[in-house]
This record gives sequence, structure tokens and C-alpha cells, in this order.
Amino acid sequence: MKNKVSKKKISVEAIGVTKSFGDFQALKGITANIYEGEVVVVFGPSGSGKSTFIRTINGLEEHNSGEITVNGIPLNDDVKNRDAIRGQVGMVFQQFNLFPHLSVLRNITLAPQKVKKLSKSESEKLAMSLLERVGIPEQAKKYPAQLSGGQQQRVAIARALAMQPKIMLFDEPTSALDPEMIKEVLDVMIELAQSGMTMICVTHEMGFAREVADRFLFFDEGLIVEEGTPEHFFNNPKEERTKLFLSQIL
Amino acid sequence: MRILLSRIRENFLGSKLDVILSITGALFIYFILSTLISFILNSDWTLILVNRKLMLTGLMPEEEIWRAWTIFSLTTILMTTSIAFWFKINIKSSIFYILLLLIPLLIFTTKNTLLYVLFIMILSIVFFYLGYRSKNSELKNIVSRIIMISWIILLPICFLILNILDGPKMTLWGGFMINLILAAIAIFAGFPLGILLALGRASSYKLIKLISTLYIEVIRGAPLVAWLLLAWFVLPKFLPNLFGLSDLNIVVRAMIVLSLFASAYIAEVIRGGLQSIPKGQEEASFALGMNSISNTIFIVLPQAIRIVIPTIVSTFIAIFKDTSLVFILAITDLLRIGRLIPEQQQAFFGKSIESLAVVALLFWVVSLVLSQISRTIEKKLNI
Repeated sequence: MKNKVSKKKISVEAIGVTKSFGDFQALKGITANIYEGEVVVVFGPSGSGKSTFIRTINGLEEHNSGEITVNGIPLNDDVKNRDAIRGQVGMVFQQFNLFPHLSVLRNITLAPQKVKKLSKSESEKLAMSLLERVGIPEQAKKYPAQLSGGQQQRVAIARALAMQPKIMLFDEPTSALDPEMIKEVLDVMIELAQSGMTMICVTHEMGFAREVADRFLFFDEGLIVEEGTPEHFFNNPKEERTKLFLSQIL
Repeated sequence: MRILLSRIRENFLGSKLDVILSITGALFIYFILSTLISFILNSDWTLILVNRKLMLTGLMPEEEIWRAWTIFSLTTILMTTSIAFWFKINIKSSIFYILLLLIPLLIFTTKNTLLYVLFIMILSIVFFYLGYRSKNSELKNIVSRIIMISWIILLPICFLILNILDGPKMTLWGGFMINLILAAIAIFAGFPLGILLALGRASSYKLIKLISTLYIEVIRGAPLVAWLLLAWFVLPKFLPNLFGLSDLNIVVRAMIVLSLFASAYIAEVIRGGLQSIPKGQEEASFALGMNSISNTIFIVLPQAIRIVIPTIVSTFIAIFKDTSLVFILAITDLLRIGRLIPEQQQAFFGKSIESLAVVALLFWVVSLVLSQISRTIEKKLNI
């Protein structure tokens, strides 16, 4: 996975993406390419626009200007394009956002049944194999509230994977977890990265980032301040802001 | 015995204030109970014995009463089956239900109807047992579906039973039966309509939002009595004389008004539920590629309705009691009959209290059952 990026197909292409919330400009022109099979870690201080950026990729936030293209599909006003992109992009949230009224199994099978029109038995087979993959097949019949935070986040990952996405977005997946549960979620993410999934992760788990990331993007005040390999960031970051931030979190 | 005494000393006679409160409380309870008991013992209850049929079914002719009995049996059996199938039974709640059923039964059972009642009771017990057995069997899913469908088609079937084989005119329906029918219609029609209105009011389409808001505010802006009178006197003058719209019978008009009225209130309750669903739920379902219709049907609405069950049930209870207002349309509902008996039957002149006490008791029993069901559902869903 590391250093495999040469001459690969572009998965996500962002050119000059901007986004404002009222007077506050969250993104001031983001240009970045994410290649197929690449694991990109996005980090930066809070309010720097990193979450907003990955939320524009699957259209959860509409960008104001600039272009976003996902696997060749332009993200624009056309709802069909947006839905096609959402079909290829899975997302995992900080607060898990599991559906509390549905069992774990139903959480995972709902979207494949309703969107991809899979049959009940097909989708359940898929769901069980994914629960196996994230290590909690025995929790299938339980409800989200009966699981620990780490287990819930693993269900959320399985739920996203059930749509067989080509790209996975992680929006601070471990920030809401108790320390002892972070590892079980990171292990699943590491396994996913090793399987060749294209991943964009907003995270401050630098150990994880160092292990699996191909590239870092450092965000500050709505701009990408610096990008490069993990070695570059850990050994000799160029920008003062990057140095300052890294010294604070490491 | 000693433990009991020390308990009493601790809880009721601990301090001077406790002593005073205990004595006042005991006096109060004694006063209420003694008044109630002496009232029950000293009153002449032949009023009920004579007017039993009138109170329950109004002016329905004697030879048509089997229709009411059939509906009563169907509903009872369905109810006992559902309770056995869906709910955990504990001793406390079963005693409660049995008491609740015994009160009206004691008041209204005579020698003639005893056979009917026994028959229904035996059938109910059989179905209760069947429901309880199938709870843990392989048939579970099928039985659950059958019960669901039965509840949905119960109301149309009741209508069929009332009208089949040259049934009595709708305007002859009356008594407690008409209260129950009107409430059932208002709830069953008002609930889906209320959901649509709530969704409409939360919609991003301006026109739909405006129409829903306008509808809700207009309906809620006037009292039910005003709407009923409007439906009686004013509506016929405005409606075009198509499909016999302007000479709709008064019971149907009451049904329509009650349903529309209920829908506005239910809509507002559900809107509250919709607003309490966190934004993350919608984001998660959109990120999974679901469209806003699936999101609404499978994610947002089920959660919203769950949250507002207690409030919805109290709206239902309010609607049920509001049905007694149809007396102003000259429909002979239970309350109207309760007031007419002491006025028109010579033998019972001036016995308003006895008559109205029974009316109140019947309303109270049904309301209590509704709220008990709501509490059980809440417990089951862990709200």
C-alpha cells in the first residue's frame, strides 16, 4: 500500500473547491487529487475545513464553486450524478449515526435492499460476512444502544461497506470513542487499507496515519497548507504552521 | 406484624408534621370513600338495568343488536390475541385488566346476554392461549402478520357488519357504540393524514409547506363545536350538489369533521417528533445512497413516531372524549342519552347523577385501557 501511487487512476479530483456557511468561508479553494488505492490522511486544527472538505466529496455539503469529480462523474446539480457518486462513496461518521430503531443486521441490510434492490437473503449473507470482517458477527441481532462505542463504529464501517463502495470517507472515526476502544476501530481501518481500498481519513491518530497513509494533507483556515508523505511530515515539515500543529499533537 | 407497625410508625408518624398530614389524609380518604360507597349503596340502579341497551347502542332496533355483539366479540378476541402475542403479561397488569373488564360487565350483563358474554369469554381465552403459544413458535412471523392485517381490516369489517343484510340507518346508530366508532374512524383516518401534514409542514417545497401550515392553523384555530355546527348548517350551502355531497347524512359529516380535526393535532405532535431526530440520521442514510423518500419512510418517521407515542396517545384519548360533542348534531351518543334518561323517563326523573356516573365510568374505562396500552408499548420500545 505505501508508495504504490505512481501513475494510477485518479479517484477523486477536486479543483478550486470553495464552501461558505453564511459569512464564514470554510473552504477557500481546495485543489487535490486522490488516486485509486491511495490512503490519504487529512488533518489540521479544528475549524480548518477538513471535515467540510470530505463532506463535499459525497455531496453532504454542496460546494459553492470549483469542481469535484469522483471516478469520472462530475458532482453538480444533476441529482443522478450525485446519487451515482454516493453509490460509490461510503462514509463513516464521528458520531457513528447508526439507526437506533433497527437491529445491527437491519442497519447493514437496509440500504443494499432499498438502493441496490438486493434480496433479503443476499443482503443478510453480505451483512454477516461484513460483520465477520469487522469482528462482531455475534452482535447481529442486537440494537445499536446495546453495543459499546467501538462496536458501534465497527458496525458503521460494515454498513458503509455493504454498499460495496470504491472510496471510503472517514470523518474523525475515533474522536468520540473511549481510549480503550480506539484500537479495535483502527485495526479494522488498517485491514481495510491493506485490502487496497481508497480511503480519505480525517483523523489525528498519528500512529495509525504513519502506519497506513500514503499521503498527508494538512489543512488550515480552509486551505491545504502542506502535503506530502508521512516521512516528509514527521522528519522535516516545511511550513511553520505545520510544525507548530504537529508539535502540539505529537 | 411488628414490622408492619414499625413501618407505619416510620412512614406516617415520624414527626409532628407527619402526624398532622397522616390524619388529614386519612380523614380526606375516609370522607371521599364513605360518600362514594353510601352513594353507590343508596342509589337506585334500576335506571341502568332498564336502559342498558339504550346506553350502549342508542336507538338501534332490538333485532339488529346482533351486529353490535358481533363487532364486540371480534374486537375483544383480536385484542386478547394481540395482548397475549405482543406483550409480556405480569400479574399486576392482568389483575388491572380483569378489574377493568369486570366493572362494565357487572353493570351491563343480564341473564339474556349471559350466554353471549360467556361465549365471548371462552373464545377470548382460547385465542389468548393460541396467541401466547405462537409467540415462541416458528409460526411467529405469520401470526404477527395476521394480527397486523386483522387490525387494519377490523374497521372496514365493522362497517360491513353494520350495513350488511339491510342494516339499520346510520342515524339510528347511537349510544356508546357511536362514540367508539367515531373515535376509531377519527384516529384511523386522522393518523395517516396527520403524518402527511407533518411531513408537508417540514417539506422544503414552499407550496406544500404553506398549504399544510394553513390547514393545521385554520383547523386548530376554531373549537370542535364550531366545526361540527359548520358541517351541519353551513357546509350544505357551499358544497356543489354532486354525488349527493350536500345531503350527506349527519353521522358521516361528524366522522369527516372529527377526522380532519384530529389530523391537525396529530400532525403537530408528529412534527415535534420529526424535529427531534438528529441531523446525523439523515446524513447517514443519504451517504448510503438512499433517497429522501426511503429516508423518511425507513429512518426518520419510525423514530419520530416512537418518540411521540405518549403524546399521540393522549391526543387519541382527547379525541375519544371529544366525540361526546356530537350531541349538538342530534346524534344520540352516550353522553346525550345519559342526559336524556333523567329528563324523559318518568321513573327516573332527576336521577342525573346516577346516569352521568355510568357515562363517566364507561369513558374512563376506555381511556384507561388506551393509556395502559401506550405505557406497555413505551416499555416495550424502551423509550
